[in-house]
Amino acid sequence: MPFTDQIIRYGSLSVVGLGKNTGKTECLRYVMERLNQMQKVTAVTSVGIDGEGVDRVTATPKPEIFLEKGMYFTTVASYYTSKRFRAEICEVLPYTTVLGKMVTARALEKGKMILAGPSDTSLLQNWVREMPQKYPVDVCLVDGAISRLSPASPAVTESMILAVGAAYSLNMKTLAERTRFIFDTVHLPVAGGSLRKKLENITRGIRGITAKGEITDPGVESALLPAQVREVLEKCENRIYVPGAVSNALLKTLAGGKEAGKTELYIRDFSRIFAEPRVFYSFLREGGRIFQLFSTRLLAVCVNPVSPQGYNLNSVELVDRIQREVDIPVYDIKKMEG
Amino acid sequence: MNFARFVERIEGLKYISDKMELTGSRVRRYLMQMPFSTDRDVLEKHFDILQKACGILSDHNAGSAVMQLLHLFSRVHDIQGTLEALKEKQTLDEVELFEIKYFSVLCADAAKLCEQTGFTYENLHSLQEAFILLDPDNTGTVSFSIYDSYSKQLAKTRQQAAATDLATDPGLWDQLHDTIQREELVVREKLSLKLSVLYPSLQENFDSLARLEIWFAKASLALSYSMVRPATVPEDQPCVLSVEGMVNPAIADNLQKAGETFQPVSVTLNREPCLLTGANMSGKTVVLKTLALIQALTQFSFFVPAQKASIPLVKDVFLVIGDKQDQYRGLSSFAAEMLDLDRIMAKMAKGTKMLVLADEPARTTNPAEGAAILCALIEFFEKNKVMSLISTHYGDLGLSCRKLRVVGFQGTRVEGRLDPLMMNRYMNYDLVEDKGGSVPLEALNIARLLGVDGSFIDMAKKYLK
Repeated sequence: MPFTDQIIRYGSLSVVGLGKNTGKTECLRYVMERLNQMQKVTAVTSVGIDGEGVDRVTATPKPEIFLEKGMYFTTVASYYTSKRFRAEICEVLPYTTVLGKMVTARALEKGKMILAGPSDTSLLQNWVREMPQKYPVDVCLVDGAISRLSPASPAVTESMILAVGAAYSLNMKTLAERTRFIFDTVHLPVAGGSLRKKLENITRGIRGITAKGEITDPGVESALLPAQVREVLEKCENRIYVPGAVSNALLKTLAGGKEAGKTELYIRDFSRIFAEPRVFYSFLREGGRIFQLFSTRLLAVCVNPVSPQGYNLNSVELVDRIQREVDIPVYDIKKMEG
Repeated sequence: MNFARFVERIEGLKYISDKMELTGSRVRRYLMQMPFSTDRDVLEKHFDILQKACGILSDHNAGSAVMQLLHLFSRVHDIQGTLEALKEKQTLDEVELFEIKYFSVLCADAAKLCEQTGFTYENLHSLQEAFILLDPDNTGTVSFSIYDSYSKQLAKTRQQAAATDLATDPGLWDQLHDTIQREELVVREKLSLKLSVLYPSLQENFDSLARLEIWFAKASLALSYSMVRPATVPEDQPCVLSVEGMVNPAIADNLQKAGETFQPVSVTLNREPCLLTGANMSGKTVVLKTLALIQALTQFSFFVPAQKASIPLVKDVFLVIGDKQDQYRGLSSFAAEMLDLDRIMAKMAKGTKMLVLADEPARTTNPAEGAAILCALIEFFEKNKVMSLISTHYGDLGLSCRKLRVVGFQGTRVEGRLDPLMMNRYMNYDLVEDKGGSVPLEALNIARLLGVDGSFIDMAKKYLK
């Protein structure tokens, strides 16, 4: 498959799914096997509390990840100690998460393991940066999530694969549209280098950006209520930075402003967009523009036509339908494995 | 009494401890448990150590080794729970065994770096024995696994398991892995038991590393605030507290932010009460708080924020600010203060050697009775020879005790409104011996400068007899 070369070039990849059972784990496994065959050493982890594998809430187990011999992995100590294969601990991480201590270890033989890694974006960012420095690792893999519940953004990796499956919806149109939406948000333009430097350490509140590129603080804590957004627009010019969630209310209010066509919205990355597609597109149609500070490259879409309830979508048709929406390769995960 | 208790009682101590660069709760916990020392020999020895640490930090030749040592502190994990488990002879899990191996490597590194920097006051035990136990294959690396070489049975079962396919023979696979887990447990039990013998060395090293870090944090603090080593006054010499050029770090930092500087103040106290008078905003409370801070810092083996300090050792320090009203317990500020003083006087009567710093006691009641309470306090302190400084606005009390007065306001020429932080420029905070009994009457002048409505001040003047 062509995208393994790209993954090696970029050095890090997150695999994210539209929802549970959309084939994310299979996709990750496929990538790991290919990289293993190519003699590449990989390190893998998962975003802390996975938005889909809500194991703490619903008590449904998170899927286990197959690990190849020689792979490095980072997970919670209690998962590690219940493993059923040989591995060696390389490091106990200097922070603990809600699930307890975290360890980085190396598999000494093939095995299966539940992964729960760094729980927020900056910790995950450090992990991706530090693993190749500390260990002879070629590629870092992140079992990611696009979800309101996920505190860590998949945009910390250089590249990404999106898993789309019948488990999300049995309606091909819905699947295609949703995929298109993710594709469009991932491809939002990236903010200029100097502006990015000024904004990247601001993770709370809202900021205004003047025509000269200076950052102003209107003193508003969040952009969840229309009144707050209007207050910000009054105090700032047409360029605002929202590090937190981009909601329906935010985009609607911006689109309804007097100079909607001149509005520029800066966000951290595509995963912060929680607005519905129609609101997102209508904001763009009004002439509004959205820039992101951190971007990732979407390498491919993997589809899983099988839903856990046993329904089967037509694989060829589904691949074709999604391929019409995006100009990146679309694969059927089941066929790839075979 | 430990540091944590004093942090609650002595304002400014928390600021100091927050300014210390400690790597985590592991060390902060240790700091909070440090005892208040009254032993002069111990303190002098501690000051020697601290002086050495200051020397090392400011010596550029020691630079790289010091930086490595400071960085090493941040790599120490909080393994107190694991140590407790060893002490109780419990079985450690794989991650805990790794932690012990990792810790023994860190200790070896720390010992080497201490030697390189010439800091030889914390004796770190060699944990080579623990390391060898956890490195049976002699790889020399820090990583850890339950190695095959720990048990022939384990190695054999693992080989069998590796040859078994989970898909074709899940029953056997499960059975073999259960055996492996049981065998791994046996190995862990044996290792834990052997390690538990080393518990004392492990625990001592864990404590030593925290102490080591605290020494360097104290030294770094001393350097950044230009603190000095206090001289402790021996038991057999006259009990005189003398501080030259003292500075309150928290207030000095605040002033610095506003572009102002803190005027250092000097003061001496004997084993007797001393009254402190001065206009409003003349820094009386700051003098009391800073003295309390310096006394506490000395007895917790810190250097002190002054140009020179000679400190007699006391059993306790009391800072009575009188703003501790506690409505939940139904206490007014007056009641809370009286109960505080009563508690302190009970200790005094028992002969406890102490330093008492009281800010305008009995100011929250009527002046007639308030003055009477103050006079009685002075008499009680005098009788018990208590080293103390008591600020007040009550004048003409007819007391014969020693009196200090803040030189005070030198800004009669100032017109218009003054920013409170700017007051600093017109105030001379020096303390002078005062023979008379009167107090400065500058309250209305200061209120005027603060921008209080002029007609109101004129109204007040009408009532001034």
